[in-house]
Amino acid sequence: MTDKAEAHAQTIVLVEDEQAMADEIKGELESKGYLVRPASIAQAADAARVGDAAMMIMDRIVFGEDSLVTLEALRKEGVKVPVLVISALSSVDEKVKGLKAGGDDYLTKPFAMVELSARVEAMLRRLDDVRTTKLHVGDLEMDLIEKTVHRGSNRIELLPREFRLLEYFLRHPGRVITRAMLLQEVWQYHFSLETNVVDVHISNLRKKIDTRGAPSLIVNIRGAGFMLNANA
Amino acid sequence: MLEFFRSSAVRVALAFVFATTVATTAVFALVYFQIGEANEARNRLILEAEAAKSVNRPVDELKGAFEVRLTHDLRRIDFAALFDSNRKFMFGNIEQLPAVAVDGKAHYIAGVRARDRDDLEPAIFVARARPDGNIMLLGRSLLESYAYRRIVQRALAAGLVPMLLLALGIGAYFARRSSRRLTAIHDTIARIMKGDTDLRLPIGSRHDPIAQISRDVNLMLDEIGRLLVQLKGVGDNIAHDLRSPLAVVHAQLERGLESSSDEQLRTVVKQALAHIDKAMLTVAALLRLSDVEYGPKSRNFQSIDLSAICADLFEFYEPLAESKSIRMTLETQSPVQIDGDGDLMREAVSNLIGNAIKFTPENGSVSISVACEDGLPVVRIRDSGIGVEPAERDKIFQRFYRTSSGHRVPGSGLGLSIAGAIANLHELDLRFNDNNPGAVFELVGRRR
Repeated sequence: MTDKAEAHAQTIVLVEDEQAMADEIKGELESKGYLVRPASIAQAADAARVGDAAMMIMDRIVFGEDSLVTLEALRKEGVKVPVLVISALSSVDEKVKGLKAGGDDYLTKPFAMVELSARVEAMLRRLDDVRTTKLHVGDLEMDLIEKTVHRGSNRIELLPREFRLLEYFLRHPGRVITRAMLLQEVWQYHFSLETNVVDVHISNLRKKIDTRGAPSLIVNIRGAGFMLNANA
Repeated sequence: MLEFFRSSAVRVALAFVFATTVATTAVFALVYFQIGEANEARNRLILEAEAAKSVNRPVDELKGAFEVRLTHDLRRIDFAALFDSNRKFMFGNIEQLPAVAVDGKAHYIAGVRARDRDDLEPAIFVARARPDGNIMLLGRSLLESYAYRRIVQRALAAGLVPMLLLALGIGAYFARRSSRRLTAIHDTIARIMKGDTDLRLPIGSRHDPIAQISRDVNLMLDEIGRLLVQLKGVGDNIAHDLRSPLAVVHAQLERGLESSSDEQLRTVVKQALAHIDKAMLTVAALLRLSDVEYGPKSRNFQSIDLSAICADLFEFYEPLAESKSIRMTLETQSPVQIDGDGDLMREAVSNLIGNAIKFTPENGSVSISVACEDGLPVVRIRDSGIGVEPAERDKIFQRFYRTSSGHRVPGSGLGLSIAGAIANLHELDLRFNDNNPGAVFELVGRRR
């Protein structure tokens, strides 16, 4: 039973009409250990209704059909499966439309595969339990109610933005987190940057939370982004 | 005023007035001279003949003839008198011999006073020496024919002046009307050149050359618009079609990188990946620009606060500035509200601040200010960086333009274009100014 549930949890339904793109997405996600099932919009909707998918990746326009219409219908029926919408339409308007229709995240083409897999992992392993009041990694503890952070017995003072940045990492331990995800989730900036501002923020955060001599809690992942070292 | 006289309608009106004046004056002048000259010439002949005929008559007879002549002269136009050899008055209606040669020929005198009249009048005289040494004077007043001339003059004035005024008035009216239309056309063209490419020239209800040309220009604009859309479509399609292959190549190279341990190969692949990243950045920026420029105009604008947006971005960028030892300051007062899209405005201002930090060397400064100046919102980003060469200032807002000094700094070269397009969408102007040294970029509200 658990095995079966686990297997279900790993099934990702992919709706994408560009064959080369679909192949790459499939290859990328399978290399991360997921089961990817390509489907048409109708097939995906059926799979979602019977709870046969851990999540769905939907291209916005598939063979000329807008997948948001189906997504909206599914949400109305009460189907809660997480959905990542990928699209050629890059305007903020379109993003807002995608999220309003019930998408949980929105990715604009062209994107790097690490961006896709990072978002998939973030969605599947989201710690969305609102009852959680404390987050931990190693000896670092964040109190979400008191808005305090302690490393061992030392209190660490963080600016509000640094607190939210760290909170995002703590909610996604051991997962690759891209710069675009941080911009979107921590700062609510829906555009790309040509500067390394995010890296500077991370390095400032590191200076505050890391202990001298010990490996950093937040590590750089080359060509992808960052990761909270869950085993620290 | 000078503009007024330059207007072609006024010129036509003035030319018309001039021509009419010349023609009318010519007609009147002919009448004027005919009346005067013909009369005078006839009178000269008559006077000379009379003088010749009467010169040998005895004095008594002459006196009688003069009396008859003057008595019968009801119109009071005749002069007749006899003077002795010492030019002393003997009889007649002129007491003083006018200054004419005593040669029997007619001469013109501008003003002479008759014995029983008050006014000086113009006249022609013939003075002739008689055999007895006396001088006989005959003359005729020109007062009457001069009065005719004055009537002609008055008629000319009475006709010409109203006609002049009327012609000028009509000319001014048409000039005003056509200059108003031309101004409207000029303003529309200026707005079209500023990017309002959907606008068309006003045509109006008249069927005249201006309307015809306006209609032609509108057709031309339609065609240019169609070509632009086509051109943009080609560009977009290229960018569009490049996305998937780029993403696929990127993914394949990444996979290759993971599976290979050949260091030499890995180095090459890493370099290739870096270039593909750059290409993807450019393609994404290009599509973004196209989205902002040609996307749906009906965005859900709402009231947004430029001060809050800048404060937020200031906080975001400050650590980056600090890492370069750049002093960054923020100056905002009260909220500055405009109608707009918060996400887009953040993107535009972010591009400008990012640029300012990028092009400012260590230990420089970047300042952001938000204010309401003369009722217009102004966001100003000032830096002490490398600035822009005067020759390049017009070009920095063009797509893909990289300044000669900015070439080393990475970027798509589309950041300013995107910021400009977003500004345009919000009816703001994006302007560059010199900061001596450095650059000032301003987003300024347009006066409506």
